[in-house]
Amino acid sequence: MKQKIIIGPWSYLTGAILLAILNTLLFAVMHTPWQITTAITYWAAWILKFFGGTPENWHYFANSASRSEGLSQHFLSNNLSLMNLGVILGALLAVLIASQFRVKKIKSPKQIIAALLGGIIMGYGTRIALGCNIGAFFSAIPSLSLSGWVWGISAFIGAWIGSKLLIKYLL
Amino acid sequence: MKKVKIKKDQSAYFWFFSFFALILLFFFGITSPYLGVYWLFGILFGFVLQKSRFCFVAAFRDPIIAGSTSLFRAVLVAMAIMTVSFTLIQYNAIQGGAIAIPGRISPVGVHTIAGGFIFGIGMVIAGGCATGTLMRIGEGFLMQGIVLVGFLIGTLWGAWDYPWWERVFISKSPTVHLAQYFGWTGAVLFQLVLIAVLYYIAKKYDDQNNILL
Repeated sequence: MKQKIIIGPWSYLTGAILLAILNTLLFAVMHTPWQITTAITYWAAWILKFFGGTPENWHYFANSASRSEGLSQHFLSNNLSLMNLGVILGALLAVLIASQFRVKKIKSPKQIIAALLGGIIMGYGTRIALGCNIGAFFSAIPSLSLSGWVWGISAFIGAWIGSKLLIKYLL
Repeated sequence: MKKVKIKKDQSAYFWFFSFFALILLFFFGITSPYLGVYWLFGILFGFVLQKSRFCFVAAFRDPIIAGSTSLFRAVLVAMAIMTVSFTLIQYNAIQGGAIAIPGRISPVGVHTIAGGFIFGIGMVIAGGCATGTLMRIGEGFLMQGIVLVGFLIGTLWGAWDYPWWERVFISKSPTVHLAQYFGWTGAVLFQLVLIAVLYYIAKKYDDQNNILL
Protein backbone atom coordinates (compact mmCIF):
# COMPACT_ATOMS: atom_id res chain seq x y z
CA MET A 1 0.00 0.00 0.00
CA LYS A 2 2.68 2.48 1.08
CA GLN A 3 4.88 1.32 -1.79
CA LYS A 4 2.02 1.82 -4.23
CA ILE A 5 1.50 5.41 -3.09
CA ILE A 6 5.18 6.33 -3.15
CA ILE A 7 6.30 4.46 -6.26
CA GLY A 8 3.11 4.68 -8.27
CA PRO A 9 1.81 4.89 -10.85
CA TRP A 10 -1.52 5.91 -9.41
CA SER A 11 -4.54 5.05 -11.50
CA TYR A 12 -5.80 7.62 -14.02
CA LEU A 13 -9.00 7.79 -12.02
CA THR A 14 -7.09 8.70 -8.84
CA GLY A 15 -5.27 11.41 -10.80
CA ALA A 16 -8.52 12.73 -12.26
CA ILE A 17 -10.23 12.97 -8.88
CA LEU A 18 -7.23 14.66 -7.22
CA LEU A 19 -6.80 17.15 -10.07
CA ALA A 20 -10.52 17.97 -9.90
CA ILE A 21 -10.28 18.56 -6.14
CA LEU A 22 -7.13 20.69 -6.47
CA ASN A 23 -8.61 22.79 -9.26
CA THR A 24 -11.79 23.29 -7.22
CA LEU A 25 -9.79 24.37 -4.15
CA LEU A 26 -7.70 26.77 -6.22
CA PHE A 27 -10.86 28.25 -7.75
CA ALA A 28 -12.52 28.56 -4.33
CA VAL A 29 -9.49 30.18 -2.68
CA MET A 30 -8.13 32.41 -5.47
CA HIS A 31 -11.36 32.96 -7.46
CA THR A 32 -9.76 31.84 -10.73
CA PRO A 33 -9.12 28.23 -11.73
CA TRP A 34 -5.91 26.66 -13.02
CA GLN A 35 -4.18 28.09 -16.11
CA ILE A 36 -0.74 27.61 -17.62
CA THR A 37 -0.02 29.56 -20.77
CA THR A 38 -0.59 33.14 -19.70
CA ALA A 39 2.56 32.74 -17.60
CA ILE A 40 4.41 30.99 -20.44
CA THR A 41 3.70 34.08 -22.53
CA TYR A 42 5.15 36.21 -19.73
CA TRP A 43 8.23 33.97 -19.67
CA ALA A 44 8.70 34.54 -23.40
CA ALA A 45 8.13 38.30 -23.06
CA TRP A 46 10.55 38.58 -20.11
CA ILE A 47 13.23 36.77 -22.12
CA LEU A 48 12.56 39.10 -25.06
CA LYS A 49 12.87 42.10 -22.73
CA PHE A 50 16.16 40.74 -21.41
CA PHE A 51 17.51 40.74 -24.97
CA GLY A 52 16.38 44.32 -25.54
CA GLY A 53 12.88 43.80 -26.95
CA THR A 54 10.00 46.03 -25.94
CA PRO A 55 6.94 43.76 -25.59
CA GLU A 56 5.43 46.27 -23.15
CA ASN A 57 4.59 48.39 -26.20
CA TRP A 58 2.80 45.55 -27.96
CA HIS A 59 -0.95 45.91 -28.25
CA TYR A 60 -1.40 42.50 -26.58
CA PHE A 61 0.25 43.68 -23.37
CA ALA A 62 -0.32 47.45 -23.45
CA ASN A 63 -4.08 47.18 -23.96
CA SER A 64 -4.66 44.93 -20.98
CA ALA A 65 -4.21 46.09 -17.41
CA SER A 66 -3.64 42.56 -16.07
CA ARG A 67 -1.15 41.64 -18.80
CA SER A 68 0.75 44.93 -18.35
CA GLU A 69 0.98 44.19 -14.66
CA GLY A 70 2.09 40.62 -15.29
CA LEU A 71 4.77 41.81 -17.67
CA SER A 72 6.12 44.26 -15.09
CA GLN A 73 6.79 41.36 -12.69
CA HIS A 74 9.39 38.60 -13.02
CA PHE A 75 9.82 34.82 -12.82
CA LEU A 76 9.59 34.66 -9.03
CA SER A 77 7.17 37.49 -8.32
CA ASN A 78 4.34 36.61 -10.70
CA ASN A 79 1.79 34.22 -9.23
CA LEU A 80 1.09 32.27 -12.43
CA SER A 81 4.79 31.95 -13.24
CA LEU A 82 5.37 30.54 -9.75
CA MET A 83 2.56 28.03 -10.22
CA ASN A 84 4.19 26.74 -13.44
CA LEU A 85 7.59 26.48 -11.75
CA GLY A 86 5.78 24.61 -8.99
CA VAL A 87 4.43 22.09 -11.53
CA ILE A 88 7.99 21.37 -12.71
CA LEU A 89 9.25 20.99 -9.13
CA GLY A 90 6.24 18.89 -8.13
CA ALA A 91 6.90 16.47 -10.99
CA LEU A 92 10.59 16.34 -9.99
CA LEU A 93 9.64 15.50 -6.39
CA ALA A 94 7.25 12.80 -7.63
CA VAL A 95 10.02 11.03 -9.58
CA LEU A 96 12.64 11.50 -6.87
CA ILE A 97 10.49 9.98 -4.13
CA ALA A 98 10.24 6.88 -6.33
CA SER A 99 13.97 7.04 -7.26
CA GLN A 100 12.97 7.22 -10.92
CA PHE A 101 14.74 10.39 -11.98
CA ARG A 102 17.08 10.16 -14.92
CA VAL A 103 17.99 12.53 -17.73
CA LYS A 104 16.38 11.32 -20.92
CA LYS A 105 18.37 12.28 -23.97
CA ILE A 106 17.09 13.27 -27.36
CA LYS A 107 17.09 10.36 -29.79
CA SER A 108 17.11 11.89 -33.25
CA PRO A 109 17.33 15.21 -35.13
CA LYS A 110 13.91 14.47 -36.57
CA GLN A 111 12.51 14.58 -33.03
CA ILE A 112 14.06 18.01 -32.43
CA ILE A 113 12.28 19.45 -35.47
CA ALA A 114 8.99 17.85 -34.43
CA ALA A 115 9.36 19.14 -30.87
CA LEU A 116 10.17 22.66 -32.02
CA LEU A 117 7.43 22.83 -34.66
CA GLY A 118 4.87 21.23 -32.37
CA GLY A 119 5.78 23.68 -29.62
CA ILE A 120 5.50 26.70 -31.91
CA ILE A 121 2.03 25.85 -33.24
CA MET A 122 0.82 24.93 -29.76
CA GLY A 123 2.08 28.25 -28.42
CA TYR A 124 0.45 30.21 -31.25
CA GLY A 125 -2.77 28.27 -30.76
CA THR A 126 -2.94 29.19 -27.07
CA ARG A 127 -2.85 32.92 -27.78
CA ILE A 128 -5.65 32.91 -30.34
CA ALA A 129 -7.87 30.35 -28.56
CA LEU A 130 -7.29 32.19 -25.25
CA GLY A 131 -5.74 29.21 -23.47
CA CYS A 132 -4.32 25.69 -23.60
CA ASN A 133 -5.53 22.24 -22.57
CA ILE A 134 -5.95 23.62 -19.06
CA GLY A 135 -7.25 27.19 -19.37
CA ALA A 136 -9.31 26.71 -22.53
CA PHE A 137 -10.46 23.16 -21.72
CA PHE A 138 -9.89 21.63 -18.29
CA SER A 139 -10.96 24.81 -16.45
CA ALA A 140 -13.36 26.07 -19.14
CA ILE A 141 -15.81 23.17 -19.50
CA PRO A 142 -16.50 23.03 -15.73
CA SER A 143 -17.01 26.83 -15.85
CA LEU A 144 -20.01 26.02 -18.12
CA SER A 145 -18.34 27.94 -20.95
CA LEU A 146 -19.33 26.81 -24.44
CA SER A 147 -15.80 27.73 -25.56
CA GLY A 148 -14.45 24.75 -23.59
CA TRP A 149 -16.51 22.27 -25.59
CA VAL A 150 -15.67 23.89 -28.91
CA TRP A 151 -11.97 23.89 -27.99
CA GLY A 152 -12.15 20.22 -27.01
CA ILE A 153 -13.78 19.14 -30.28
CA SER A 154 -11.32 21.24 -32.32
CA ALA A 155 -8.31 19.86 -30.44
CA PHE A 156 -9.62 16.33 -30.93
CA ILE A 157 -9.80 16.83 -34.71
CA GLY A 158 -6.33 18.39 -34.60
CA ALA A 159 -5.03 15.43 -32.59
CA TRP A 160 -6.50 13.07 -35.20
CA ILE A 161 -4.60 14.84 -37.99
CA GLY A 162 -1.51 15.07 -35.79
CA SER A 163 -1.66 11.30 -35.22
CA LYS A 164 -1.77 10.69 -38.99
CA LEU A 165 1.27 12.96 -39.44
CA LEU A 166 3.02 11.19 -36.57
CA ILE A 167 2.48 7.76 -38.10
CA LYS A 168 3.47 8.93 -41.58
CA TYR A 169 6.59 10.95 -40.82
CA LEU A 170 7.88 10.25 -37.34
CA LEU A 171 7.34 6.66 -36.36
CA MET B 1 27.78 -13.05 -14.93
CA LYS B 2 24.74 -11.08 -15.92
CA LYS B 3 24.81 -7.48 -14.90
CA VAL B 4 21.83 -6.39 -12.88
CA LYS B 5 20.99 -2.73 -13.02
CA ILE B 6 20.32 -1.46 -9.52
CA LYS B 7 18.41 1.77 -9.29
CA LYS B 8 20.10 4.29 -7.09
CA ASP B 9 18.14 5.47 -4.12
CA GLN B 10 17.22 9.11 -4.72
CA SER B 11 15.37 9.82 -1.48
CA ALA B 12 18.14 12.13 -0.27
CA TYR B 13 17.50 14.34 -3.32
CA PHE B 14 13.79 14.17 -2.63
CA TRP B 15 14.30 15.50 0.90
CA PHE B 16 16.72 18.15 -0.33
CA PHE B 17 14.29 19.51 -2.92
CA SER B 18 11.35 19.28 -0.50
CA PHE B 19 13.32 21.35 1.99
CA PHE B 20 14.19 23.80 -0.77
CA ALA B 21 10.50 24.04 -1.75
CA LEU B 22 9.56 24.69 1.87
CA ILE B 23 12.09 27.50 2.28
CA LEU B 24 10.89 29.07 -0.96
CA LEU B 25 7.30 28.75 0.29
CA PHE B 26 8.30 30.88 3.26
CA PHE B 27 9.99 33.53 1.10
CA PHE B 28 7.13 33.71 -1.42
CA GLY B 29 4.51 33.63 1.33
CA ILE B 30 6.12 36.45 3.29
CA THR B 31 6.16 38.61 0.13
CA SER B 32 2.46 37.95 -0.37
CA PRO B 33 0.29 35.12 1.00
CA TYR B 34 -1.25 34.41 -2.37
CA LEU B 35 2.15 33.86 -4.00
CA GLY B 36 2.72 31.08 -1.48
CA VAL B 37 -0.67 29.58 -2.32
CA TYR B 38 0.10 29.50 -6.06
CA TRP B 39 3.54 27.97 -5.43
CA LEU B 40 2.00 25.23 -3.29
CA PHE B 41 -0.76 24.49 -5.78
CA GLY B 42 1.76 24.26 -8.62
CA ILE B 43 3.78 21.67 -6.68
CA LEU B 44 0.65 19.64 -5.87
CA PHE B 45 -0.55 19.74 -9.49
CA GLY B 46 2.87 18.64 -10.73
CA PHE B 47 3.10 15.84 -8.18
CA VAL B 48 -0.35 14.45 -9.01
CA LEU B 49 0.17 14.78 -12.78
CA GLN B 50 3.41 12.81 -12.62
CA LYS B 51 2.30 10.15 -10.14
CA SER B 52 -0.84 9.34 -12.12
CA ARG B 53 0.91 9.73 -15.53
CA PHE B 54 -1.89 12.14 -16.40
CA CYS B 55 -1.27 13.21 -19.97
CA PHE B 56 -3.76 15.19 -21.98
CA VAL B 57 -2.02 14.30 -25.25
CA ALA B 58 -2.64 10.62 -24.56
CA ALA B 59 -6.24 11.38 -23.61
CA PHE B 60 -6.81 12.84 -27.09
CA ARG B 61 -4.42 10.65 -29.09
CA ASP B 62 -4.79 7.13 -27.68
CA PRO B 63 -8.43 6.73 -28.75
CA ILE B 64 -7.18 7.40 -32.31
CA ILE B 65 -3.96 5.42 -32.50
CA ALA B 66 -4.51 2.68 -29.90
CA GLY B 67 -8.29 2.51 -29.51
CA SER B 68 -7.76 3.12 -25.79
CA THR B 69 -10.01 5.58 -23.99
CA SER B 70 -9.05 5.00 -20.33
CA LEU B 71 -7.34 8.37 -19.95
CA PHE B 72 -10.02 10.15 -21.98
CA ARG B 73 -12.62 8.69 -19.60
CA ALA B 74 -10.59 9.83 -16.58
CA VAL B 75 -10.67 13.37 -17.99
CA LEU B 76 -14.46 13.04 -18.28
CA VAL B 77 -14.70 11.99 -14.62
CA ALA B 78 -12.70 15.07 -13.58
CA MET B 79 -14.97 17.22 -15.76
CA ALA B 80 -18.08 15.77 -14.11
CA ILE B 81 -16.78 16.44 -10.59
CA MET B 82 -15.71 19.98 -11.46
CA THR B 83 -18.96 20.73 -13.31
CA VAL B 84 -20.73 20.39 -9.97
CA SER B 85 -18.08 22.08 -7.81
CA PHE B 86 -17.36 24.98 -10.20
CA THR B 87 -21.05 25.68 -10.69
CA LEU B 88 -21.56 25.82 -6.91
CA ILE B 89 -18.70 28.32 -6.62
CA GLN B 90 -20.11 30.41 -9.48
CA TYR B 91 -23.68 30.27 -8.15
CA ASN B 92 -22.61 31.29 -4.66
CA ALA B 93 -20.49 34.14 -6.02
CA ILE B 94 -23.50 35.49 -7.93
CA GLN B 95 -25.77 35.02 -4.91
CA GLY B 96 -23.16 36.87 -2.87
CA GLY B 97 -23.43 39.86 -5.21
CA ALA B 98 -20.61 39.27 -7.70
CA ILE B 99 -21.14 41.27 -10.90
CA ALA B 100 -19.50 38.78 -13.27
CA ILE B 101 -19.58 34.99 -13.10
CA PRO B 102 -16.10 33.80 -12.01
CA GLY B 103 -14.23 31.07 -13.91
CA ARG B 104 -12.79 30.55 -17.38
CA ILE B 105 -15.54 31.83 -19.62
CA SER B 106 -14.26 33.03 -22.99
CA PRO B 107 -15.71 34.28 -26.26
CA VAL B 108 -16.34 31.35 -28.57
CA GLY B 109 -15.78 31.55 -32.32
CA VAL B 110 -13.46 30.90 -35.24
CA HIS B 111 -10.41 31.71 -33.07
CA THR B 112 -11.41 28.94 -30.62
CA ILE B 113 -11.68 26.40 -33.45
CA ALA B 114 -8.47 27.52 -35.17
CA GLY B 115 -6.48 27.69 -31.93
CA GLY B 116 -7.80 24.39 -30.58
CA PHE B 117 -7.18 22.68 -33.91
CA ILE B 118 -3.54 23.72 -34.27
CA PHE B 119 -2.94 23.06 -30.58
CA GLY B 120 -4.27 19.52 -31.15
CA ILE B 121 -1.86 18.92 -34.03
CA GLY B 122 1.04 20.49 -32.14
CA MET B 123 0.62 18.54 -28.93
CA VAL B 124 0.59 15.21 -30.75
CA ILE B 125 3.68 15.84 -32.89
CA ALA B 126 5.55 17.42 -29.97
CA GLY B 127 4.44 14.63 -27.63
CA GLY B 128 3.35 16.98 -24.87
CA CYS B 129 0.70 19.56 -24.06
CA ALA B 130 1.18 22.56 -21.77
CA THR B 131 1.03 20.54 -18.55
CA GLY B 132 2.81 17.50 -20.00
CA THR B 133 5.73 19.63 -21.19
CA LEU B 134 6.30 21.19 -17.77
CA MET B 135 5.85 17.82 -16.06
CA ARG B 136 8.37 16.04 -18.31
CA ILE B 137 10.95 18.80 -17.86
CA GLY B 138 10.72 18.01 -14.14
CA GLU B 139 11.11 14.31 -14.93
CA GLY B 140 14.32 15.01 -16.82
CA PHE B 141 13.27 14.83 -20.48
CA LEU B 142 15.58 17.04 -22.55
CA MET B 143 13.17 16.84 -25.50
CA GLN B 144 10.51 18.76 -23.61
CA GLY B 145 13.01 21.57 -23.11
CA ILE B 146 12.97 21.95 -26.91
CA VAL B 147 9.16 21.85 -26.92
CA LEU B 148 9.18 24.66 -24.34
CA VAL B 149 11.51 26.74 -26.55
CA GLY B 150 9.06 26.25 -29.41
CA PHE B 151 6.18 27.08 -27.08
CA LEU B 152 7.87 30.35 -26.04
CA ILE B 153 8.42 31.33 -29.68
CA GLY B 154 4.83 30.41 -30.55
CA THR B 155 3.19 32.35 -27.73
CA LEU B 156 5.20 35.47 -28.59
CA TRP B 157 4.26 35.11 -32.24
CA GLY B 158 0.61 34.66 -31.24
CA ALA B 159 0.76 37.67 -28.90
CA TRP B 160 2.21 39.75 -31.77
CA ASP B 161 -0.62 38.67 -34.12
CA TYR B 162 -3.25 38.92 -31.39
CA PRO B 163 -4.66 42.37 -32.42
CA TRP B 164 -5.68 40.91 -35.79
CA TRP B 165 -7.43 37.91 -34.26
CA GLU B 166 -9.08 40.16 -31.71
CA ARG B 167 -10.34 42.61 -34.32
CA VAL B 168 -11.53 40.05 -36.86
CA PHE B 169 -12.88 37.27 -34.61
CA ILE B 170 -12.61 37.56 -30.83
CA SER B 171 -14.32 40.95 -30.45
CA LYS B 172 -17.20 39.76 -32.66
CA SER B 173 -17.68 36.43 -30.89
CA PRO B 174 -20.29 35.80 -28.21
CA THR B 175 -19.37 34.67 -24.71
CA VAL B 176 -21.69 31.79 -23.94
CA HIS B 177 -22.29 30.53 -20.41
CA LEU B 178 -24.58 27.49 -20.45
CA ALA B 179 -26.62 28.70 -17.46
CA GLN B 180 -27.79 31.65 -19.58
CA TYR B 181 -29.70 29.19 -21.73
CA PHE B 182 -30.59 26.32 -19.43
CA GLY B 183 -30.62 27.94 -15.99
CA TRP B 184 -28.15 26.82 -13.31
CA THR B 185 -29.77 23.43 -12.61
CA GLY B 186 -30.53 22.79 -16.26
CA ALA B 187 -26.97 23.62 -17.32
CA VAL B 188 -25.43 21.26 -14.76
CA LEU B 189 -27.82 18.43 -15.63
CA PHE B 190 -27.32 18.98 -19.37
CA GLN B 191 -23.55 18.90 -19.03
CA LEU B 192 -23.53 15.87 -16.72
CA VAL B 193 -25.75 13.90 -19.09
CA LEU B 194 -23.53 14.90 -22.02
CA ILE B 195 -20.43 13.73 -20.11
CA ALA B 196 -22.16 10.47 -19.15
CA VAL B 197 -23.13 9.80 -22.78
CA LEU B 198 -19.58 10.50 -23.94
CA TYR B 199 -18.29 8.18 -21.22
CA TYR B 200 -20.62 5.40 -22.37
CA ILE B 201 -19.59 5.83 -26.03
CA ALA B 202 -15.90 5.92 -25.07
CA LYS B 203 -16.26 2.72 -23.03
CA LYS B 204 -18.01 0.89 -25.89
CA TYR B 205 -15.39 2.16 -28.33
CA ASP B 206 -12.60 0.96 -26.04
CA ASP B 207 -14.15 -2.52 -25.69
CA GLN B 208 -14.22 -2.90 -29.47
CA ASN B 209 -11.02 -1.16 -30.56
CA ASN B 210 -8.43 -1.27 -27.80
CA ILE B 211 -5.30 -2.89 -29.25
CA LEU B 212 -3.47 -2.76 -25.91
CA LEU B 213 -5.74 -5.26 -24.18
